[in-house]
Amino acid sequence: MGVNLFEGSKHLVKSREEAFEALFKSEYARVAGIANRVLADPHEAEDVAQEVFINFHRLHSASAQFAPAWLHRAAAHTALNRLRGRRRREKREQAQAPEEASRTVDPQRMLEVNEDRRTVRAALARLAPKPAAVLVLRASGLSYAEVAEALGVGTGQIGTLLRRAEAALRKEVTRGTSI
Amino acid sequence: MFDDPDALTSSDRRHYAGCPDCQARYAGMAEDARAVATLLATPDVKVDAASAFQRIQAEPAAKPRFGFTLPILRPASRTMFAGLAASALLVILVATAFANVLPFFQPKTVEAVPFQVTDIQALSALGDYGTVMWSQQPQPQVVLSAADAKTIAGFNAPVAKYVPAGVSSTVTYAAMPKAVAVFTFDSSKAAAAAAKTGKSLPALPKGMEGAKLTVTVGPAILEVYGNLKANTNSSSQDINLPQLVIAESSAPVVTSSQVTAKQLENYILSIPGISKELSAALKAIGDPSTTLIIPIPIQYATSTSVTVQGVHGVAVGDNTGLGSGVIWIKGNLFVVAGPLRQSEVVKVADNLR
Repeated sequence: MGVNLFEGSKHLVKSREEAFEALFKSEYARVAGIANRVLADPHEAEDVAQEVFINFHRLHSASAQFAPAWLHRAAAHTALNRLRGRRRREKREQAQAPEEASRTVDPQRMLEVNEDRRTVRAALARLAPKPAAVLVLRASGLSYAEVAEALGVGTGQIGTLLRRAEAALRKEVTRGTSI
Repeated sequence: MFDDPDALTSSDRRHYAGCPDCQARYAGMAEDARAVATLLATPDVKVDAASAFQRIQAEPAAKPRFGFTLPILRPASRTMFAGLAASALLVILVATAFANVLPFFQPKTVEAVPFQVTDIQALSALGDYGTVMWSQQPQPQVVLSAADAKTIAGFNAPVAKYVPAGVSSTVTYAAMPKAVAVFTFDSSKAAAAAAKTGKSLPALPKGMEGAKLTVTVGPAILEVYGNLKANTNSSSQDINLPQLVIAESSAPVVTSSQVTAKQLENYILSIPGISKELSAALKAIGDPSTTLIIPIPIQYATSTSVTVQGVHGVAVGDNTGLGSGVIWIKGNLFVVAGPLRQSEVVKVADNLR
């Protein structure tokens, strides 16, 4: 009898691990994509994605219905938080710029691209968390319904939120380049 | 609208065709949307999910401690509150496993013990000396009503006669049938742990091989006040923190087979190679009394002794003044906690029926 109980428990543990693995494999690319949209840095984006999955696994069951929405939201917020750690980011970009430039045929163009990216990321970091998350999630290919679920708002609000966020980002970018 | 063609109904479309204002606004929005799409364009990140999965599997933090997850706490992962609740649950479980009474131990009162989070993590090293298994997994579930919670837990959900002003009247009920964990001592694992230090296992007392400790927690009912779906989108730091949480659970019960819990604890403490942290954790919770140890993370909280419903209880106050809780045993184990002042929490507790 006791042995059967233990076996049952083992199966539960195993199925929980399997559920997590399935969730990881189906959502990892998207979670890393969201983080990359914010950070424009694939290595750091994967770092964020792994941190997000580890946090999720420590706290929640992979079979929970809210799992994908939780992961998308956490990816956006974790990446945005990192972006706001401005000093660290600036250091990294300075180190990375010559490396990227050396790989391109047109170093001048690459410098411009890096400068644009830095300006856009700085503007994104200045936005309030919700508009920033709406922009990033939508730009990462999530549907209106998926963005709404990740942020816990009604699908009907997403259009308005998105429009306001787009206008706000453009304004911030303009402000950043005119300083 | 710009990127969602279905957003317009046919009547909207007719209006739009003849309204220059709407057309101008649309042109502005479309321009914003196109500009932002360009601004946020990044090269695709190429990932290898299989190898990424292997990397995080190698990370010990990826595994839920003691195989326990908290499906009802949703994303409150970074709050002190969730940390407190999770560590309290875990330590209640493990602390009782090493109490010093045979055939069973049932705490009648509570006592606070400050601990370092690392001490508690050291307890997972118990797996080096045997197996820890859930013979009945904790299966907390969200239910629709107090009546449903009663059906699962077998006792009435507590009713708060006093709720501080400003606390939402929306209550979410969760309930959990009893859960049973079993620790089975395994001399071959213990010998392997001892061998790492180049020493052999001390002689096994009679009955030690295969000795079991069975810990039963719950059934339990949890009531969460606050609209958990509202205000969840501002940032990951201030997401759906409950306004008030009330929990009632049967006090945990531990039974042992073949040897007493104290004998088992003493024997594990005598095995060569036991870490200083695990040894300290075991000694701290092996207090030979019928007292339930309430762990208070040193860096987060202070605790005081209070009287609740005429019995001794422990009140936990967050150092920042942002949250507090009170824990007591009166037949069952009760917890009231929330981002409130301590006096309010105690008043809620005193008026619980």
